[in-house]
Amino acid sequence: MNCPDVDPLLMPYLDGEVVEADRLEVEQHLASCEPCAKRSERSRHHRTLVRTLAKAGTPAAPEALKARVFTTIRSEQTRQRQRRFLRLSAAAAGVALCALAGHHQWRSFQRRLYVEDAASRHARQFPLEVRLPQPEALEAWFDGKLGHRVAVPRFPNATAEGARVLNVREKQAAYIRYDAPTRASAQPRQVGLFVFGDNANDVDVGARGEPSLGNSNGYNVVTWREGDIVYQLVTDLEEDDIRELLPSEPGRAPLPTARQPLEAQPASFRR
Amino acid sequence: MLGFSTRSDKARAEFEGLVAPWLDALYGGALRLTRNERDAEDLVQDTVMRAYRFFDKFQRGTNFRAWLFKILTNTFINGYRRQVKERSLGDESERQSVEAQFFSSDTTDQAQNPEDYLVQRVMSEDVLKAIDTLPIDFRMVVILADLQEFSYKEIAEILDVPVGTVMSRLFRGRRQLEAVLRKDEHEAAAPLVDLNAYRERKKLG
Repeated sequence: MNCPDVDPLLMPYLDGEVVEADRLEVEQHLASCEPCAKRSERSRHHRTLVRTLAKAGTPAAPEALKARVFTTIRSEQTRQRQRRFLRLSAAAAGVALCALAGHHQWRSFQRRLYVEDAASRHARQFPLEVRLPQPEALEAWFDGKLGHRVAVPRFPNATAEGARVLNVREKQAAYIRYDAPTRASAQPRQVGLFVFGDNANDVDVGARGEPSLGNSNGYNVVTWREGDIVYQLVTDLEEDDIRELLPSEPGRAPLPTARQPLEAQPASFRR
Repeated sequence: MLGFSTRSDKARAEFEGLVAPWLDALYGGALRLTRNERDAEDLVQDTVMRAYRFFDKFQRGTNFRAWLFKILTNTFINGYRRQVKERSLGDESERQSVEAQFFSSDTTDQAQNPEDYLVQRVMSEDVLKAIDTLPIDFRMVVILADLQEFSYKEIAEILDVPVGTVMSRLFRGRRQLEAVLRKDEHEAAAPLVDLNAYRERKKLG
């Protein structure tokens, strides 16, 4: 190694940052080259001086600063804890909300299935097992046939045609068929009414137990609940005619006046 | 709630234990970066706070001191550089107070010889002043290498630059420092860089 080779290695050499082989070569050169040795010695001296003096002149951190730093760490920890708690609460609230929404969707999906099943069974015109116009006689006929007592609703304008036992989905129901007058034509229209027990609350009737109006296969389906008993009225009557038919029943909320979404009701049924 | 609160207490205690030995070093570095006490204190506080916030990112068993100084230099570069430039002319009074502080404080290595002690104090002040004149890139490397005695590799990691860059900045920074001190030497009645020569001169004079 000659002087130009050694020069860039001098500083790393003094800092102990050269590999062993380079260190030996540098030392060999310094032993034989006086100018480089002098330069190196001066650099070493300068480096030591700067290091010693700079460190000696640097004050320690003020005690007040140290105390303040530790206080701030503790208050930051408290803040972090609160933030984490808030985040956790927010997440929990989110989960609860999703569960609630999911549950709500599931309920309305279930209700939709009951509405569809009631409408399709009514549409199929199953033969009646008994033909009796008096509600009392029908109630007597149902006595003992189902797991619950059947109160046959009295509709002032409609007359009962007859009844049978008919399922809505998995629920065994009393099915009563009525003839109801309409304002638009002289021809009475058929109204089917399913009455079944639902103490498991499988059928979601909507808020506050008010009758809810659904629609399936061109039929309007009005569902309401009285205690554990669910009523599903299936008809191709217009909404206004249904309103005529229903409000007289005591102890029951009237059909909501605001139009429920009548999902895709065919134009032919609106007249 | 209880479980996680004790866990975070444990982490905090661990952090406090790790950071406590380096507060003086952080403050010393911050003082040279900001060149005034007030900003240095703020910088140390910000640095420790950020370190605490990112403590879960720190890999246990690795170099905590280097990690702290990386946060220190980053915090300085991001938040303090401009601010300090703007008031660099106005901090003469604060510099005075630094001097006053370490003349009055009889802390570390008060030499057996009070004269040596005084001489060293004055010379220390000159060296620190000289470091403060360096451009920030050189100053950071000199602070890390000569004040904090980090290795080239550690400095490269702290500043996020190649080792070659560290070497060239350190080389130029030290050369500039030497030039400044030599200039002082010529201006002053006595050469302040050589303690023995200075003492000799005192004895003669």
